[in-house]
Amino acid sequence: MSAAEPLLRVEDLRVDFPTEDGVVHAVDGITYEIYHGRTLGIVGESGSGKTVSSLTTLGLTRGQGARVSGRILFEGRDLVGLSEAEMRGIRGNDIAMVFQDPLSSLHPFFKVGAQLIEAVRAHQDVSKAKARARAVELLGLVGIPDPSRRVDQFPHEFSGGMRQRAMIAMALANEPKLLIADEPTTALDVTVQAQILALMEQLQRELGMAIVIITHDLGVVAELADDIAVMYAGRIVEAASAELLFSQPQHPYTWGLLKSIPTLEGSRTEPLVPISGAPPSLINPPSGCHFHPRCPYAQPEHARVDPRLEPVPGEPSHHVACLLEADVRRRLWAQLHAGRVPEEALAAVGVEEEPPR
Amino acid sequence: MTRYIIRRLLWGVALLIIVSALTFVMFRILPTGDPAKLRAGRLQNPKIIAEIRNNLGLDKPLLTQFWLYMKGIFLHFDLGFSYYSNAPVKELISTRLPATLSLVFGGAVVWLTAGLAVGIVSARRARSRLDRVSMGGALVLVSAPEYWLGLILLYVFAADIGQVRIFPGAGSYVGLTGAPVKWLTAMILPWLVVAAGTAAVYARLIRGSLIETMSEDYIRTARAKGLSERRVVLRHGVRAAINPVLTILGLDIAALLGSSVLVETVFDIPGIGRLNFDAINHSDFPIVQGTVLLAALFVVVANILVDIAYAYLDPRVRYS
Amino acid sequence: MRSLRTILLVGLAGVLVLALAACGASKTSSSSSGAGASSAVAAGIQTPATESLTGGKKGGTLTVLNHEDFEHIDPGQSYFSIDYEAVYATQRPLYSYKPNTFSEVTPDMAESAPQITDGGKLVTVKIRHGVHFSPPVNREVTSADVAYAIERAANSNVANPYYMGYFSAVEGMPKASGGPIPGITTPDKYTIEFHLTEPAGEIVANALVLPMSAAVPPEYAKKYDAEKPSEYGNHQVATGPYMFKADSSGKVLGTGYQPGKSATLVRNPNWDASTDHRPAYLDQIEVKIGGDTEVIGRQVLEGSHIVQDDTVAQPIVKLAYEKYRDQLLISPGSGDHYMAVNNSYGPFTDVNLRKAFWAALDREAMNKARGGSLVTNVMTHFLYPGMPGFEKAGGLAGPKVDYNEHPRGDMAVAEKYMKLAGYPSGKYTGGKTIQVVGSTGNPNAQNAEIANQTLKNMGFKTKFNLVDQSVMYSKYCGVVSEKIDVCPNVGWISDFGDGQAVLDVPFNGKLIVKNGTNANWGLVDHPKINAAMAAAEKLVGAGAREDAWAKIDEELVAEAVAIPYDWDKQAAIRAKDVLGVGDQWNIGSWDFNYTSLK
Repeated sequence: MSAAEPLLRVEDLRVDFPTEDGVVHAVDGITYEIYHGRTLGIVGESGSGKTVSSLTTLGLTRGQGARVSGRILFEGRDLVGLSEAEMRGIRGNDIAMVFQDPLSSLHPFFKVGAQLIEAVRAHQDVSKAKARARAVELLGLVGIPDPSRRVDQFPHEFSGGMRQRAMIAMALANEPKLLIADEPTTALDVTVQAQILALMEQLQRELGMAIVIITHDLGVVAELADDIAVMYAGRIVEAASAELLFSQPQHPYTWGLLKSIPTLEGSRTEPLVPISGAPPSLINPPSGCHFHPRCPYAQPEHARVDPRLEPVPGEPSHHVACLLEADVRRRLWAQLHAGRVPEEALAAVGVEEEPPR
Repeated sequence: MTRYIIRRLLWGVALLIIVSALTFVMFRILPTGDPAKLRAGRLQNPKIIAEIRNNLGLDKPLLTQFWLYMKGIFLHFDLGFSYYSNAPVKELISTRLPATLSLVFGGAVVWLTAGLAVGIVSARRARSRLDRVSMGGALVLVSAPEYWLGLILLYVFAADIGQVRIFPGAGSYVGLTGAPVKWLTAMILPWLVVAAGTAAVYARLIRGSLIETMSEDYIRTARAKGLSERRVVLRHGVRAAINPVLTILGLDIAALLGSSVLVETVFDIPGIGRLNFDAINHSDFPIVQGTVLLAALFVVVANILVDIAYAYLDPRVRYS
Repeated sequence: MRSLRTILLVGLAGVLVLALAACGASKTSSSSSGAGASSAVAAGIQTPATESLTGGKKGGTLTVLNHEDFEHIDPGQSYFSIDYEAVYATQRPLYSYKPNTFSEVTPDMAESAPQITDGGKLVTVKIRHGVHFSPPVNREVTSADVAYAIERAANSNVANPYYMGYFSAVEGMPKASGGPIPGITTPDKYTIEFHLTEPAGEIVANALVLPMSAAVPPEYAKKYDAEKPSEYGNHQVATGPYMFKADSSGKVLGTGYQPGKSATLVRNPNWDASTDHRPAYLDQIEVKIGGDTEVIGRQVLEGSHIVQDDTVAQPIVKLAYEKYRDQLLISPGSGDHYMAVNNSYGPFTDVNLRKAFWAALDREAMNKARGGSLVTNVMTHFLYPGMPGFEKAGGLAGPKVDYNEHPRGDMAVAEKYMKLAGYPSGKYTGGKTIQVVGSTGNPNAQNAEIANQTLKNMGFKTKFNLVDQSVMYSKYCGVVSEKIDVCPNVGWISDFGDGQAVLDVPFNGKLIVKNGTNANWGLVDHPKINAAMAAAEKLVGAGAREDAWAKIDEELVAEAVAIPYDWDKQAAIRAKDVLGVGDQWNIGSWDFNYTSLK
């Protein structure tokens, strides 16, 4: 495998869940890739399909009756077609995952050490004593003080931050090539969030693994991610390097995300603007551009034409799925960036709504 | 924890005294045969009846009788004499206890095993045909009367009166220590009957509990570690799902120890349930008192054991 | 809890009621014991009257499956048909019966018939030489052992239930409390004398057939009789061919008898066949107690070397009749069931109301609940089938009086008597609520319900209660002061084939016990009948007694002193390879002394 080949390449991945109310199109044809030692941030609201796509990568949506199509190429091997046994050999070994709520994600009845030992021994044929030594080592690695004592404690005896450190330690047990962190800091205090992110960054430097970090909070990935994919209603609506995405965001939804979070750079007086409207139904998604019902800049034909994810003119590494003209988008963002609300931006840019036909 | 157990034990003793007192009073308020007259037989003259009443201590005030009874229990572990068979209650109970313990604990093993197996399979294949058949069958078993079920099993499988003569029939109970193999084969049908209804309840309970547990985040974590599904279900899932079951297991066992009269009768197993039942019919108060006390003791001990087990099984639970 | 009994127990009805029989049964009259019995049982079914007592094969173990436990295994206390099965195999009273007779008494521990002298005031019995107690006593039985057996009956730790009924004429007996009794003397080791204060020699002589006369060794038993209650039963020694298995100290409890669980009878090594009328074919008898009657029934019918020796479940009787008829024994004259109506208090002091009730009752429905014609006959008067005087008093059809002629009940006849009683509408309008106390468990509860419904149809308001049978007797129907109006579930089983044994205690006004346990439940107290009974008690000679008691039976019907409905026939079952011999004198129970294995 050449160095230029991606560690993971997801191609046109679709995940459907048949339910009594209809088929839920949780992931609706996404494509992305991630390279060794890099960090990809997948950003979106809950229900955007970001978690489902990651769970599908680990084969964890199979048991829930998911219909999966497309390809998930890990080191060139398509994971979609693998047997359950083959998949088990990859889970927690080559690809590991850290979940949102460390309290509910750790088994309440087993000691932290036992859960770590189990993770080690799931993929390594080592004695219990060796696995235990490894567990202590892992706890030390993630910055838990006095690990040889802590290893014999139950999860409820840990603080929230320590539990997440333990979860990370567990994910690192078999030195995975890819670590998927699903909202790793959402359940934690703000100060602890920063520590956990710093820990992940440090571990990536030391261990050289690739990280997919899934979050609804662009602020989390701002520091950490090399590349960012923004998901909406099961699709990627914008993908770019972190730098480009923050400096020249192209999609109105991305703008919304950026305006709905407090940033350190933003002025204190700038009002936070939540994205109006409710997330769309995944059973009967809106016609045309899925975002159009919530898009302040939508034109009537946006309800009929489905935009494709295409490179932004002049920026081949920056992709966006939006029907607005590139020039209009640039000017709108300039207005918004200057602190205008969408209505003001619209007026200033001079995009008129077409009269209804 | 130790202090907690001691406190619970003291409460248990108090409860037993209260239960004794209630039984004592109830036996005198409810219309039952007069023990003295029953002993005297028909057409007895009042003089003899009075003497018997005196011999049995029944002419003393109720409070004195109760005090003497309690004194007997606490100082000499003496439960008195049966009015009906002239035998010491303690001896009657101790000869009957092994049979009932065999029946109930063996039955508990069977119903827990069967309930777990069916419950787990049903939970893993929720809403499948197998699940529906097992849960439907469970419903039938829950509502099947033990007596009827016992008769059916005997008429079908008993070595003496069955159609397919496989298992020893009624009256084949022997002690475990004397002949373990005979004991085991004789107990198979009774265990099935004792366990049938309860296993069905447990299967439904475990199914529900396990379905709930399997949607927990820590189960997803276990899967994400790359553990086999078997290990995920049996170690991570069942381990958590079984906790609520254990609470009722203790109480079910305790309750059954005093009330297995139907199964004991159908299979002619000389146990506590039948002893108590016969004693009620014979107005044999000392035995009723002794067996009720024993049943209450079972419940008290079971409750404490359940609490201890709970603390042991769920590290988050602590008593003080 | 108690209602479970309805499932477990089918029809253990009057078995607890064993009558005391007063004087008069002639020891030599056997001619009429089978009278009426043959017509009471369907053809082709074994009855005690038709069985052979000889020719059995020696050896083997008989298994007995009983639902009910023994009540008392101490011969001084036992007074229950199930107790008798074991007691008459292990003990030798002075006299006993052969299985196929109600009335023919055979000398047992006694060497010969009793001598009644001194105008009926002295009874002398010679006892056999060479009869020995079982281990650990082992020595020869003497007359002093018989004397002690009778003395201890009055010890309240033993509390024999019938001694005052039979032995009250013995000098010093009424005041005795366990010690020596002046009226019982033993001139030598093999002679015992009973000195009586009145000429009641016939009563005393007759009572010697009861197990209370079985010898008890005082030097061994006294320490047990001092216990409250006596523990002799748990340590008893035997004189009969069998004994309860015992440990070396003689302790039976826990070895040969485990209450509610099992009993084991083994051969008494000290028994000498040449001294006994019992053939005693079996080596051992294993009694298992407590099984379900339907399961037991099938185990017996399909099994080997098994009998059931207590009440057979109704479905099993039916099954046996249909498929295993040669394994079924039906014993007529096994007691009766009737309704006691209060002759001394309340509305039923009026003879016409009693007749109306009799006429209105559907006796066939009552008996259908009890298992139908296989095990019952519609009761039409008070002497049983097989009893002397039965045929003279009307046989199966009964006296020809209009209230007796409609076994299915006839409201028209009932209304006729209601009108005679002063209720012109034909319905009771007296306004008094009458109290009905019946017994729980079927078929008794069903019988009580039918009775209660009949009373309502007649216009009565009733207060209806069902209680456990022992409670019914000891707290309600046997207590005079309770003044219960109707007791639908009483019954009587006699010990003797003599009319007096059937009619005296339940219907003689002189025998009402005010402060003890009364068995004249209807408080029947009619001067004319009392006088007739007093005269009949003193009669000697089978023919005269038969006539007298049959006439009394007619008078009881004429006064409608109680409402009869069921003459019991007891069913017993055995495995096909058991040569079963049933006891006519013990409601058809299998006799361990005569039963053998094929």
